[in-house]
Amino acid sequence: MNVPVHHFLYLGAFLFSVGLVVVISKRNTILVLLGLELMLNASNLNLVAFNRLHPGNLQGQMFAIFVIVVAVCEAAVGLAIVLRIYREYQTSVPDDVNELNL
Amino acid sequence: MDAIHTYSFLFHFCLVAALAFPLLSFVLSFYISEKYSWITSVLASFLLLLGTLASAVVLYQAWNHPPFAYRLEWFSLAGYSFSAGVYINNISALMLFIVTGVSFLVHLYSVGYMAGDAGIQRYFAMLGFFTFAMQGIVVSGNLLMTFVFWELVGFSSYMLIGHWHEIPAAAEASKRAFIINRVGDAGFLVGLMIVWAHGHSFDIAALQHMPVDPTWMTLASLGIFCGIVGKSAQFPLFTWLPDAMVGPTPVSALIHAATMVAAGVFLLARVHFLFTVPALHIVAVVGCITALLGAVSALAQHDIKKILAYSTLSQLGLMVVALGAGSPQAALLHLFTHAFFKACLFLAAGAVIHSLHQAQHQSHVHFDVQDIRNLGGLEKKLPFTFLIFVISGSALAGLPLTSGFLSKDAILTALVQWHGEGFSWKLLILAAVALVSFLTVVYTFRMIWKIFKGSETATAQLHISEPPAVMRAPMAVLAGVSLWIWFSWNPFNFYGWMYTNIGEAKPFHSGMVSIASAIWVILALGVAYVTRQVTVGSPLLLNAFYFDRLLKQFVEKPILQLAALTHHADKKWIDGFLHATAYAQLIVAHLTGWFDRAIVDGLVDGVAGAAKGLGSFTRSFQGGKIQLYIFWATFAIIIFIIWTLL
Amino acid sequence: MQQYLLSLLLFTPLLAALLSLFLPATSTATFRIITVVVNVLQVMFLLVLLLNYQAGAGLQFVELKPWITLNMGNWGILKASYFVGVDGLSLPLVALAVFILFIATIASWKITQNVKGYFILLLILNAAIIGSFTALDFLLFYLFFEFMLLPMFFLIALWGGPKREYASIKFFLYTLLGSILILIVMIALYVSVHDPSTSGQLVHSFNLLHMADASNFISTSVLDPHRALQLGPFSARTWAFLLLFFGFAIKLPMVPVHTWLPDAHVEAPTPISVILAALLLKIGGYGLARIAFPIFPDAAFHLGWFVGLMGVISIIYGGLNAMASKDLKRLIAYSSVSHMGFVLLGLASFTAEGTAGAVYQMFSHGLISAMLFVLAGVLADRTNDRTISHYSGLAGKMPTYTAFILVAFFASLGLPGFSGFIAEIMVFLGAFKSAGLGGPLHESLAIVATLGLVIGAAYYLWTLQRMFFGPLNVKGDFSVDQLSDLNRREYFILLPLALAILFFGIFPQPLMSVIDPYAQHFAAFVLETGKNLTLTP
Repeated sequence: MNVPVHHFLYLGAFLFSVGLVVVISKRNTILVLLGLELMLNASNLNLVAFNRLHPGNLQGQMFAIFVIVVAVCEAAVGLAIVLRIYREYQTSVPDDVNELNL
Repeated sequence: MDAIHTYSFLFHFCLVAALAFPLLSFVLSFYISEKYSWITSVLASFLLLLGTLASAVVLYQAWNHPPFAYRLEWFSLAGYSFSAGVYINNISALMLFIVTGVSFLVHLYSVGYMAGDAGIQRYFAMLGFFTFAMQGIVVSGNLLMTFVFWELVGFSSYMLIGHWHEIPAAAEASKRAFIINRVGDAGFLVGLMIVWAHGHSFDIAALQHMPVDPTWMTLASLGIFCGIVGKSAQFPLFTWLPDAMVGPTPVSALIHAATMVAAGVFLLARVHFLFTVPALHIVAVVGCITALLGAVSALAQHDIKKILAYSTLSQLGLMVVALGAGSPQAALLHLFTHAFFKACLFLAAGAVIHSLHQAQHQSHVHFDVQDIRNLGGLEKKLPFTFLIFVISGSALAGLPLTSGFLSKDAILTALVQWHGEGFSWKLLILAAVALVSFLTVVYTFRMIWKIFKGSETATAQLHISEPPAVMRAPMAVLAGVSLWIWFSWNPFNFYGWMYTNIGEAKPFHSGMVSIASAIWVILALGVAYVTRQVTVGSPLLLNAFYFDRLLKQFVEKPILQLAALTHHADKKWIDGFLHATAYAQLIVAHLTGWFDRAIVDGLVDGVAGAAKGLGSFTRSFQGGKIQLYIFWATFAIIIFIIWTLL
Repeated sequence: MQQYLLSLLLFTPLLAALLSLFLPATSTATFRIITVVVNVLQVMFLLVLLLNYQAGAGLQFVELKPWITLNMGNWGILKASYFVGVDGLSLPLVALAVFILFIATIASWKITQNVKGYFILLLILNAAIIGSFTALDFLLFYLFFEFMLLPMFFLIALWGGPKREYASIKFFLYTLLGSILILIVMIALYVSVHDPSTSGQLVHSFNLLHMADASNFISTSVLDPHRALQLGPFSARTWAFLLLFFGFAIKLPMVPVHTWLPDAHVEAPTPISVILAALLLKIGGYGLARIAFPIFPDAAFHLGWFVGLMGVISIIYGGLNAMASKDLKRLIAYSSVSHMGFVLLGLASFTAEGTAGAVYQMFSHGLISAMLFVLAGVLADRTNDRTISHYSGLAGKMPTYTAFILVAFFASLGLPGFSGFIAEIMVFLGAFKSAGLGGPLHESLAIVATLGLVIGAAYYLWTLQRMFFGPLNVKGDFSVDQLSDLNRREYFILLPLALAILFFGIFPQPLMSVIDPYAQHFAAFVLETGKNLTLTP
């Protein structure tokens, strides 16, 4: 089965766009984090897809794994912050945390 | 004249004393307490007696000797000396004696006349000062000093004419006298300025050698003549003299006889050498107009003192004519004789007024005692005064055997000589003078008739007595010196000791003139008798051709209007201009204020507002909303990508 | 001590003012006493000054100390000095100032409102007046000149009559305008004149004596007499002279810039009127004689006719205005305008007689106007009403007062025997002689000016007639009983004034001998330099 690369790229772009829209439009921080995950995975998809064009070269996969690791860490730290904020302000909506705002 | 004559110590002493005594009288009167004010009158008269004696010594010592000249530096400036000079020759010595003597007699008379007056101290003080100032003019050998005393005479006459200052008319008359004199003095000052600019000296003796351009000389002499016109009451500055009659009668006597008006004629004689021929012509014409005007106006007057005042005007006019005709001697002779008989007439008139006032006071009847229409038949009640009046009146009229005849003769002779042969305008002046002498007789004797002859009217019920001896004595003395004998041995020849010694006597004498003049006067006397009942009812003459009204209308009023105009100019134009500028400034200030607020501040505000708007616009990007940031960042990237791709 | 006499004269009142500042305002008598003590001290200093003064020896009692020296780099060095001295022009005026200020202090005895402030201002004014008359450095002069303005303003504005605000502001604005005109010329002169005694770097000096020497002008500077820079219709020097002339003429005052004077006088309290008329006006004349004429003799020579004409206009216009005045103080104020016209006429004649007459007139008018204003004040104290038409026949009710009025009026109208006569006749002689000597005045000016004498007689005698003669009668908001004759204090203020007026009228020589050398030098200098500078292209 030979699926052309640009199909993966379409999917990656679609997922990235969905992630971006989620990040921008969702008020809840958890959902924003979800959107972020989506965007990261969309890029992973791209990395892996592009790697297919250069057989024998593992940089794409390596980057994808590295991104997954960073995404995990990021999710962990992000969720921790969200929890902390929730405990402090009883909200998980970032716009309500506006102590620095005038 | 070069003969050196050393004057004795006595002369110096007496000269100083003659002037010092009247001044002392002035000063001392301030130190006498008001309770003993009568002392003032006695003391002043005594001091004046001493002064008279001293001036007699001066006259005796200086008579027919080389002139005495002494110069004392008053102050110096730029190397020029302003000196207070004394110059005594026959004329000034004689004048000094007459001034002091007449003044003494007036003082003596005033002791009686002014007794009981509230301002008696002031009166005698000013009388002394008046005498002093006049003496100053007489002895001064320096035009500046003459001017100083000239003004002081004006000042003291102001004080004396206005002696009864509560009477508005007196205050008015004294003011007028001074101001009119001031007008003349302004001219005098111009004369002084010309003399100074060309000669740098006011010394009368030095002025004789002053080389001056004739035009300036004429102007200078006319300037000085202006002063004389003011002081000697010549046309057109004569109106003050009749007005001045509101002063006490002895003061009138002094003003008319020895001081004040005499000063002008005296000065004119003294600086006669300065006058050029055209100037002298003007002098003669002015004198002639004054003489005629005075004589004609005297005809119509009712007031004794006014008649005498206008007679003085006309006599002064005669003197000035004589000066204009180039005969100072004749003028001076008339000045001297006039001094006695006019003083005498005034004192006699004062005696009438005084006696009637006293009588009125006792009987509480009131009428104007100076109005001759109310008088008549006083001969019986006041025989002494009548006699005095007749003698001095004859002298005024110039009847033979009186001093007046001699001096008038001298003037007529001088005019006959002056007009020369043939017909010229000078003949008109001679004719006018003859007319004046005719009229003089008429008005004088008409007055005497009205007062003393006929029947009594208003005074019939009054108990009238002669004035006290202290008043009679001066009258008697003055009447005595109104006779010919004191001036010339021959009653028909004015070439006596006096005339020949008061100037370079010109060897001209026509017996014809004396005879003609005697006949002329007798004729006039006849006319006076015939017309004794006729009253000249002309209001034009009564008011001396309305000259004072003319002055009022055409000088005083315009000046007052001008003053009002300047006041208006100050208030409305200058201050108005200031206020207008102030308001203009205010308006400009408001305008700039508006400009400041609307334009300048507006601009600044506009810039600030723009910045603010821009700021709030950009600020809207940084609302602290993280997702918005991301949106914008993405948006920017998209734009960027589109831009790079296109 | 002699060499510091002028400084003593000058700083004693300032120190006293400083001392008074620290005293409590409640002890009113103290301030009077301090001021009197200052006056007595000043009289003593003045006596020493007069005894040691040598007539004809030029400037004396000179003190010259460096005051401000500023290095301005390329612009040279600014140098102003504390430079004071007296000569035949300033000595009579200094003497007059000391005398009048004493009189004014005594006349101020009845001031009850804010005594402390009043006397402190009086002391400052005192120092400023003496300073103006003695300063020989333009900057120093200007300082004192301006210094007079403020105390005067407050003295009128705080202790004055009902319209005092208007009067004081008018006074202030007028004199400020004059000051500005003078300031402009001062700056131009500062730029144009260098100190000849120093070599090397250029030293700009404010020394008035340096300014009066044509060779000290920096060549090609604005006011260089040899350059004759044209600015519009006139040369720069003529402009400068005109500015100075109008600056000082406002103070003098001259028609048409005189209208501050009647208002200021009418509103000012009596002692201030006295100082204003007797001393402040003289600074105008003094400034002309000390600064405007010697520094710009060429322009003065050119415009002499104008100065003389303005003098004659002032004489006649002031006299006519006095005639139309309804208020006694206003009448006297206008008579001051008329009399100060003689100063202009005399100075413009460029003759020794005219100059001496002008200085004599300043001195004499100082005494006479002081007396007149004290007399007007006496009446105002009694009734608070100075309207001439409200009085009649005062002579019977107030004989002593009337006697003093007579003296003052006749002195003011120039009767011989009083000091005004000497002054006026000298001015007349000088003004008439001017043309013959090549001076700038035409003969007719002097002749027209004699009208002033007649007008003077008219308004004074008319006033006498209206107010003092005739039957006793008063109108207005007061009764006849308020018209008491002079009290002792008033009598002893007026007597010395009357005696001084009489003395300088009968014995002019003491004063004339002081003025004479100055007048000769001034007239010769101005005439010669004026002619020569004019000839040089």
